Amino acid sequence: MIRSALSVVLTGAMCVGCATTGITSQHSVIAAKDKVAPSLIHVSPVKEVFQRGERKEVSVTGSGFIITSDGYVVTNEHVAGKSDYVRCVLFDKDEVEAEVVGTDPYTDIAVLKLRTDRTDLPFVKLGDSSKLESGQSVMAMGSPHGLSRSVSLGIVSVTDRNMEAMGSKGAPYNNWIQTDAAINPGNSGGPLVNLKGEVIGINTRKLSGADNVGFAIPIDIARQVIEEIIANGHVTRSDVGITFQEMTRITEDPTRKGVVIASVDPLSSAQKALIQPGDILLSLNGVATNARFIEDLPRIRKLIADAPVGEILNLEIQRNDKVVKIPVKTNEKSQRKGEQKELNEWGFTVSALTADVIRRAQLENGKGVFISGVKAGELAAQSKLQTRDIILTIDGETIEDLDDFNEKYRKRIDSKQELTLLTIKRGALKIFRIVKQEEADEA
Amino acid sequence: MSFKNIVKCISLFSIAMVLCLAGPTTAIADTIGKNIYQTIDKQFIPALCRINYATEITNASSGETNRRSTYTMGIMVSNDGLIMAHGHMQLENRTPKKIKVTVGAGDDEKEYGAIMLKKPDDINVVFLKIQTEEKVNFPYISFKNSPFDLGDPILTVGLLNQNFDYGKIIRAYRIGSVITEPRVTYAVDNAVNFGFIGGPVVNANGHAIGVIGYDLSDSEGGDIYTRSGYPLVYQTSLFKKYIDNPPSEEELNSNENDAYLGVFSQPLTEEYAEYWKLPNEGGIIVSTVIPGSPAYKAGFKMGDIIRNFNGTPVTAQQDQDVVSFTKLVRESTLNEPLSVLFYRDGKQQEIKLTLTTRPTAGRNAAEYEDTVFGITARDLTTDVKIALNLSDDVQGVIITRVKSGSDASLARLRRNFVIQRMGNISVNNIEEFKKAIETLSKDKPQEIPIFCRVGPNTAFFRIQPRWKN
Repeated sequence: MIRSALSVVLTGAMCVGCATTGITSQHSVIAAKDKVAPSLIHVSPVKEVFQRGERKEVSVTGSGFIITSDGYVVTNEHVAGKSDYVRCVLFDKDEVEAEVVGTDPYTDIAVLKLRTDRTDLPFVKLGDSSKLESGQSVMAMGSPHGLSRSVSLGIVSVTDRNMEAMGSKGAPYNNWIQTDAAINPGNSGGPLVNLKGEVIGINTRKLSGADNVGFAIPIDIARQVIEEIIANGHVTRSDVGITFQEMTRITEDPTRKGVVIASVDPLSSAQKALIQPGDILLSLNGVATNARFIEDLPRIRKLIADAPVGEILNLEIQRNDKVVKIPVKTNEKSQRKGEQKELNEWGFTVSALTADVIRRAQLENGKGVFISGVKAGELAAQSKLQTRDIILTIDGETIEDLDDFNEKYRKRIDSKQELTLLTIKRGALKIFRIVKQEEADEA
Repeated sequence: MSFKNIVKCISLFSIAMVLCLAGPTTAIADTIGKNIYQTIDKQFIPALCRINYATEITNASSGETNRRSTYTMGIMVSNDGLIMAHGHMQLENRTPKKIKVTVGAGDDEKEYGAIMLKKPDDINVVFLKIQTEEKVNFPYISFKNSPFDLGDPILTVGLLNQNFDYGKIIRAYRIGSVITEPRVTYAVDNAVNFGFIGGPVVNANGHAIGVIGYDLSDSEGGDIYTRSGYPLVYQTSLFKKYIDNPPSEEELNSNENDAYLGVFSQPLTEEYAEYWKLPNEGGIIVSTVIPGSPAYKAGFKMGDIIRNFNGTPVTAQQDQDVVSFTKLVRESTLNEPLSVLFYRDGKQQEIKLTLTTRPTAGRNAAEYEDTVFGITARDLTTDVKIALNLSDDVQGVIITRVKSGSDASLARLRRNFVIQRMGNISVNNIEEFKKAIETLSKDKPQEIPIFCRVGPNTAFFRIQPRWKN
């Protein structure tokens, strides 16, 4: 009772505050909205999804914004991931088709290009998210629940929310702008705008079961990703195979410098360089890597990710009381999502192995394909193949990667081979599975 | 049967109909006379008892347990207080505590303490022994071996709930199915309420010839039928040996004298035999060989087809058949060389190997409950490593419980994390864990980084102990 009364008082106080701000900044809100509104896009992709052993196309709705006069559009990867067809509705209600230029699942960013010859499209100005302050007024713009051209007003609640502590591993390279501006499904990919009319974030997530707890990707993180996608169609990152933890995981002592090395991936370059869990990374190529809190981790991961692939990084490592310099060569970071294929004849879908899958499955050589779905009643299901099985060999031959499996699979389909033997890794166990293809019935 | 008797039967069944809409029809009762009901009432019902006990439910994420009171029906099977009940009473990680047995009814009702005996592994029943200083001649049911046929009428007795003062109720069924694999089992033709599980099954001659059960035991491939929802009849021949020769009072679930080979296997179906062009003479496929096991040391490999194990031909065409092979291995002699004939690359070969005793199972592993930080941990055993897909070289102790509100829980330590180091102290087994806790309790550091294996990764968790002065 006391608690709810208190919350009423607090809410009341906030509303009063909002109202005052609202009156004084009415003009600036409208002015800021007017600057971004002409570049706002209602995005309706027909997206490829793999569900229960089948490839399907589903129509989704999200938001986006134009960033160049010739029609590059930014949205979320989870809105327009793999889509052959993207229909965009501009703010003047004109409909234009777009193609996906590239996506980055690690930051949940996708870049589209409108199929238009126009070079005079209105585009937004990208702001500086490092200068954000909590309490600052912001607007979320987009298509909540498909309702295009919607604007909601709020403030920045927190400038650097880290969601890993909440169990979300989705965004290793950024903290989030938390806002109380209403963000709903459909707002995804839309701009978070300051009162100067600059885009300072990309609205991406909301906390389900909570009111007005939305999250946007800071535009400073997005800017680099967008530029790289436009230039190369994808984002390349470096990796050395280290998982970091903040210093407070081992000590509260504020004088302790560096970041904790919590885990070292098997077969990674860090492991080859004999880096061990419990080592403290003090600096990287001379740049201090102090991470006392979890919010400091994305910056350090990004230091490694941004280094060129194949470069030697100089790691200054503290091990017990000694400080040593260890050179470590970077490798290209594995894609977050493995490419998938639908294999109709057996009724299942397989995907390429990602570093994450390889680590979880503890695959010694990292070779094989992952079964991402099995269609009920089809041959794969009848042969007791299961989602999350890893196929290691086919008729005794090692499967190098997805293309190799596809080729070997095709050969067996085309030759109507009756029996095919697979070796499967399921958890810690290896088992055999046999797939028996019947000759197709004559119609 | 006279009209009067039918009316009586109906009135008896009216309660059953309320409890279970799918109750049997009176037509079945036509074939069993009133006298059988009265025999049951006089001879069998006094030998039924109610077993009240506390069961511990484990929270999957923290491993913490909560106790819940429950009861089940027991059948006294000897005059010195041996009781048989259904196996659900003692599932893995659900050891019954505070067992009280209520015998008799009304003013004659009496309560006794009881202990659990070792659970048989080939039939899903448990045995208890009443503990009393007095010399009591308990009423008991004597079971007879008698064949069943499809459609045979049977009567069984159930326990009503507390609202009906745990009264007994007789209900009629028929044998609805005769299941032949993995062993002969009978299924009744209708739904059975919880209160009937473990109750005696009586035939038209008034003989107790079995009990109502659910599920097969694990070693019979119980998981295949688990939660199948089909009430079964366990016939007398399956459990009579345990009544004549009751299980020991040793620790529960101890299989440590069983022989151990160390392979996972799968049936050699026609397709596999055809694929590998093997003669159609049976066999079992070795799939995973557990590192360090006798099979591993003897050189068995994935894909070997075991044809003959120590003189016994091995045939496994279906999943259930693998269970028979497991049983064959388990019951083999220890510590003397055995011969195994198998096919590798299409050629028959022989390996001589010596089986060892089964390594300690996770649930029987040495455990220590630390009351300082609130961690309960166990030695890391091979079966747990396999279940969590941890490689054989991972050392440490596995957390089984974290007390809520404890220092360990605030540090976000969770069940199934493997503790490898506490502060600077290495922890490789439960003794070292115990010593580490003792050392830390003496030193009283302000913070202790705990290094753990969490799935495929390693990570640190900092305990900030709230030391009491």
